[in-house]
Amino acid sequence: MKAVTWVLRVLSFVMFLIMAYTVYSFLSGYWDWDAPYIFIVTVFRLLSFVVFFVAVLIVNGLAAIFTGGQSLNSLLSGLYNTLILRMWYLQPYAISNPVTDVNEVFISFVGNVISMAFQVYESAFTFLYFLFAALGIAFFLQSLVRMEHKYVGGAFLSIQAILIVAAFRELSFYENLVFETDFILFVTSPLQILVLVSFAYLEISYQMIYSDSVGKPVEEREDTLKKQLLALRTATRKQDAIERGEAVSHSAMSRTTGATAFSFLREAIERKVVGSKSALENLDAVSDVRRLQIFVDELLDGDPNAKNELTARAAAPSKGYVVLSTVMGSAIRFLAVIALSFLLMSPNIFVQLLSLPPGIENSVELLQPEIVLLFLVPTTLTFVFLAMIISWITKREEAIRLSGEEEKTLKEKSEGEIKRKREEAAKARRAREKARKKGREDGEDEWDRALEETYKR
Amino acid sequence: MITERGFVVVFAGVLLLTSGFAFSNYYLTVLGVYLIVGLVVTLPLFATTANISGIEVDRNVDKVKVFSGDFLRIRVTIRNKSRRHFDFIEVWDRYPETWILAIGENFMASRIEPGSSITFSYILQAKNRGRYYLGPTEVVMRDRLGLHYYTRTLEAETEILVYPTWKDVRRMESLGKQRQLGLMFGAHRTRVVGMGTDFAGFRAYTPGDAFRKIDWKTSAKRGNLMVKQYEMEKNVQIVCMIDTSGSMGNGYPDNTKLEYAIRAAVLLTYMGLERKDLIGTCVFSDIVHSYIRPSLKPNHMYDVLEALAMAEPTGWSDYENAVSHVIEKTRKRTLFIFLTDLEESPAPLLNAMKTVVANGHRAQVISPFGPWFEAPVGQFGPVEKVLAEAVSEELWERRKKIARALARFGIEVVNVGPEDFLPTIIRQYNLAKQRGVALF
Repeated sequence: MKAVTWVLRVLSFVMFLIMAYTVYSFLSGYWDWDAPYIFIVTVFRLLSFVVFFVAVLIVNGLAAIFTGGQSLNSLLSGLYNTLILRMWYLQPYAISNPVTDVNEVFISFVGNVISMAFQVYESAFTFLYFLFAALGIAFFLQSLVRMEHKYVGGAFLSIQAILIVAAFRELSFYENLVFETDFILFVTSPLQILVLVSFAYLEISYQMIYSDSVGKPVEEREDTLKKQLLALRTATRKQDAIERGEAVSHSAMSRTTGATAFSFLREAIERKVVGSKSALENLDAVSDVRRLQIFVDELLDGDPNAKNELTARAAAPSKGYVVLSTVMGSAIRFLAVIALSFLLMSPNIFVQLLSLPPGIENSVELLQPEIVLLFLVPTTLTFVFLAMIISWITKREEAIRLSGEEEKTLKEKSEGEIKRKREEAAKARRAREKARKKGREDGEDEWDRALEETYKR
Repeated sequence: MITERGFVVVFAGVLLLTSGFAFSNYYLTVLGVYLIVGLVVTLPLFATTANISGIEVDRNVDKVKVFSGDFLRIRVTIRNKSRRHFDFIEVWDRYPETWILAIGENFMASRIEPGSSITFSYILQAKNRGRYYLGPTEVVMRDRLGLHYYTRTLEAETEILVYPTWKDVRRMESLGKQRQLGLMFGAHRTRVVGMGTDFAGFRAYTPGDAFRKIDWKTSAKRGNLMVKQYEMEKNVQIVCMIDTSGSMGNGYPDNTKLEYAIRAAVLLTYMGLERKDLIGTCVFSDIVHSYIRPSLKPNHMYDVLEALAMAEPTGWSDYENAVSHVIEKTRKRTLFIFLTDLEESPAPLLNAMKTVVANGHRAQVISPFGPWFEAPVGQFGPVEKVLAEAVSEELWERRKKIARALARFGIEVVNVGPEDFLPTIIRQYNLAKQRGVALF
């Protein structure tokens, strides 16, 4: 399965490249490479400006208490220049040299704040493009290594987020994007190509993860079994060594890969069985580990298939089937999605089919994106509804164990037996009581007398 | 069913779609439509293929009766009898919570083609006696993109009967092999000199002895007529009466009076069979749950184990009923060893003992003392400690009275705790053998 996964990995890489490049080219002219720097510096300046203002306000306020209302202009300037400016380079906006008079900062305070905020807003969009692009690449690289859906989804959404953010700026390239009524034009339009590439990236990446995950459990299972058997063997050898009175070393490997490999042995270790001399005191746990070793040895010796069944090696799917079904599945999904989307997004076909009244047919809503909803919601729900109906029809509860009736009969039989026993016991008790009463009337026997005497004491 | 991942796709689709509407952006609208359509378009197809009736699960176990602590291999085979393939199938084979997964995994995930099968196995350690069920098996089917799934539970259960632990017997055997039997494990044979084949020694001739028994060599050496003596081994018959009333089940799961009583019964039966004594077992509470007659049959041990495996602490102790039941089916002189906590009212117990003795049998009581088996006093606070001590004293007084009453009938009551339960039963058995109680 690894070869198939690698092929899909390469395809996913290509699709991501195409998707990212298409987005990049859509926004060509908007990728200002200085924007991230400008954004960060402006934010920094804005913050420094606010910090400076607040600090001066607080210090002056406190100083006024002790100096009778006089501000500490020179002291503040000195301290600011020495401590803040030199050490942190926290330069207030619109001041290029060391501060000589704190008041000069406040002269155009409001104007400066507005100017900086505007600059932040301007550069924020471009900054976000870069940010999402970086995130997208990071997620994409993670997805190739870790094979998890969340990274694929993250990469996809991050790249798409660039276009979502760009939509806020009402960029000119969006104006050319409209729904085509001709299928060929629809499929070959730049908009469609980007959508198709994005969708293909998702599809191929998900197939890549599937290909990896379908073969992985068997590999992991085999790996786990190896570790378990190794840990078991090590534990048994250690016990042998302890019994022979030899020194036992504790290697880091045995603790990490071996000892923690499976719960059974871990439990034994927690009970301080394996690897310590006091272990021998705990005969049960020692015996458990040894018996497990014997059991496994006998099993592996006696049954040639035992190891394969423990690892479930035979469960590994064949490459041919996976490749074929991947290609077929993806192709069907792709074609179905394109065809359906075209139908949903080209209201003209439905308008002709449904022969809508002229008021609706000529309405401006038919030219708006929202028209999609008119058909999307019922179509989507139809699929869900169909799936539910099929599932409902085909749902069959498998009762492989005893059939209901047989089980019921057994249960009833068992309950009936207990009931019968109870009744018999009750009957016997009544009979004993009756006999005892009769005995009392005839005269107390020596046993009863002994009993009474005992309790009188 | 749509998976969590599927819902993420739905939300992403809706986000893009609504963003498209908000900004009159066709690109975002198209992308949203693609995601939503892409999610639902294969849903009916998946519903058609994910039909569980095509999947058959078989579970095989090496044995259906095991001892507590034994290992068991479970083989699970999943067959796809349909003409469809299942892209991703996860199978979880459930096992009892108290058992331990020793080797392998009870889980398998793979793809399964039409007409093919997958087999996986794992090894469990059976814990705690009783009747257990392996299964059900949970089958989860996912589509290859992990957007939809269907879950089915196949109620295929395999019954496993777990016998009480055999570790006490193993330990006894192991100690025996090491010749460390000490005081606990002395094997005393009951000898009756007279008839028999085993040579016992010589004695002086007395008139009436058969001439063929005279040993001429020894007589010549000693100058007096000496006859050979032979010994005959006699065996005892014991019925182990195990009280399974509710109070016997108090305490921690592995540390209840009932569990110890059962272990004691297993040990007693094993020792009896080894020495050719007849040991029966009666499991009772308010009814007689099972009675295994004393026997030397090859399967006797397993009959006893099966009866003990099923024992559950419920109801109250009807000693009279149990004794009547056993006496009715027992002709030979028998030693009744009661394993009971004596927490019921004493009159029925005394009546039952009366019946035992009146029928020519012998009895003794090995009684686990409740407070020693339940929560350790060390874990209590000062108030609970005082209360526990008060309750213990009360119970102790009560049992002293019962012991006194039983002593009048020659019935001994031995109070035991978790540590000395097993040694006590062995000692009592050996004493009975030495004294020749209930010989047959």
